[in-house]
Amino acid sequence: MNYSLLTLEILVTLLGLGVLLAGLWVPAGARKLIGYGAATLVGVILTYAIGGASPADGTAFGGMFVVDAMSNFFKGFFLLAAVVVLLLSLDYADTLVGYAEYCALTLFALVGMLFAASANDFILLFVALELITITFYILVSFQRNRIASIEAGVKYLILGAVASGFMVFGTALIFGSANTTNFFEIAAKQAELTKSPLFLTGLLLTIVGLGFKIAAFPFQMWAPDVYQGAPSPTVAFLATGSKAAGFVLLLRIAFGVVPDLTAQWSRLFLGFGIVTILYGSLCAIPQRSVKRIMGYSSIANAGYLLLGIAAASLNGSAAVMTYLGGYIFTVLAAFAAISVVVAHTDSDDISAFAGLGQRSAWLATALTVGMVSLAGIPPLAGFFAKFYLLRAVAEHVMIDKAFLVALLVACVGVVISLYYYFGILRAAFFPRHAPDLAPIAVSSTAKLAIILAVAGTVYLGIEPEPMVKVAQQAAAGLKTLPEAPQTAAK
Amino acid sequence: MPALPDLLFYAFAGLTLLFGFLCVANPLTRNPVTSAMFLVLTICSLAGLFVLLNAFFLAAVQVLVYAGAVMVLFLFVIMLLDLKEEERRQLNKVALGAGSVAVAVIAGILIKAVMSAKPAAEQLVEGTTKPLGRILFTQYLLPFEILSLLLLVAMVGVILLSKKELK
Repeated sequence: MNYSLLTLEILVTLLGLGVLLAGLWVPAGARKLIGYGAATLVGVILTYAIGGASPADGTAFGGMFVVDAMSNFFKGFFLLAAVVVLLLSLDYADTLVGYAEYCALTLFALVGMLFAASANDFILLFVALELITITFYILVSFQRNRIASIEAGVKYLILGAVASGFMVFGTALIFGSANTTNFFEIAAKQAELTKSPLFLTGLLLTIVGLGFKIAAFPFQMWAPDVYQGAPSPTVAFLATGSKAAGFVLLLRIAFGVVPDLTAQWSRLFLGFGIVTILYGSLCAIPQRSVKRIMGYSSIANAGYLLLGIAAASLNGSAAVMTYLGGYIFTVLAAFAAISVVVAHTDSDDISAFAGLGQRSAWLATALTVGMVSLAGIPPLAGFFAKFYLLRAVAEHVMIDKAFLVALLVACVGVVISLYYYFGILRAAFFPRHAPDLAPIAVSSTAKLAIILAVAGTVYLGIEPEPMVKVAQQAAAGLKTLPEAPQTAAK
Repeated sequence: MPALPDLLFYAFAGLTLLFGFLCVANPLTRNPVTSAMFLVLTICSLAGLFVLLNAFFLAAVQVLVYAGAVMVLFLFVIMLLDLKEEERRQLNKVALGAGSVAVAVIAGILIKAVMSAKPAAEQLVEGTTKPLGRILFTQYLLPFEILSLLLLVAMVGVILLSKKELK
């Protein structure tokens, strides 16, 4: 068996264990060293992963674990998100109880995401998602002295457990009707399986479980509360890594396992997408807490991404990946600013951001880039993300007129989102009354995080072509996957 | 005349459903301890279903670990809570109605799917410890190893969240 395919996962696991042990020996005064070390080493692993050293495509563990263009694409972003999150968490090193464990758990959640990107079996899918979710239960309730953090953790735990229940039941039904849980084997006999109501029900229940992870309506109710209550670096990781992990699995199931069915179900995804966009956009309007707005914004963005899946085309799935790439940088930029402001002022109300333009140029830049890109204004990553996605949806209008509605709703959603994103910026630059205009000191690690995220957002906005090309290759690889081992043997 | 295993299946399945219902919605009492006891009975009937599937090891684990160890912990936790307050709590009628509708719809879909199903799954493994162990360490080695990481995470999390001093 080819263990070298799992190099990234094994390295990050070892790093996580190392960090956990280091927490025992590093004196309390020097615990920031753990964060520096973890962030640096994940950065090294990231450069190793991007630098062409990543193994060639292949499968391991009897086709359960797969490395292909899509898994490599997402693994890069997961590692990058982890680097930025670890850098941001350094600002919380002195206030979080058990900072070493915080870093270790972040790394273990990263391991779960890496496995999710490569999961090619419903069992591995479930186990990887559980590793992510259970780690996040703890990361969300990490600030035990804040009641909001505990409350967020309990809400996430209860709703997450229900979603896991749906998912495991769906997996059982899929196994019951297909006699296998492997994606390749199911893809090989999808023609007959998609006629079986039992299989369809199982698939639907699995999608429900994934819908919870990506915070799509009607499984979104946890998002605002959890985003508001959890520590800011955790939220940054939840909004990027955890959501992208849900989408990589959804993409793999939708286009790698049952592509024909996805085309049939395109209206289902479309309906979910439309409602999710409207729900996220409309509910964000009256909010006062910036983190809560980010929660609703994350719901709305899940809606846009679902439209890309509904398009059920090569361009659609490539657009979903492009969107996620841009979205991850954008959200990291926004959360870099939010995280520092919340650490400094201990409040996530919009008023805490008042006068940010005068208080810190670094934070104001990161916040502006994040919000403008989220709103989808050129020339930032968020614009091209939405552009490619809506183009894929528009292409589908010819086949199904319902996509015209989706296009309209998406445009309405963008217009509404301008209001709440710019509401935050207005408070930052043109405050009605700013009680405190003292400069905010930005630590050098936070500056590095801001540079990474902002540079990525701007670069993908000016030069989106390279990533689009990679995303298209990844999407194309997904479609041909079922031709791999099992069908070749027949 | 149906065969004995079929009759036993319907008996255990019916008991599982009945005890499960009584566990969450007992019309006679709202005492959490009673609910916990019904959960024990649910788990025991589930163990019966596992035996019918020849999954003897799982059946034993179900009784020993879940009905035994885990439920004792549950009871400890329940005893530490204020039971009176739970009994005084009013039922939310709207939530109850919405929940019933959701349950009815999901049950409808499931019943329709199960009724029309032709099960394809064959018994892959003998349900005793040796074949089970073999399959865990060959075919399902990767998920099994990831689960060990998951247990480590859960352990670290429990210690962190329940540690006494906040420093």
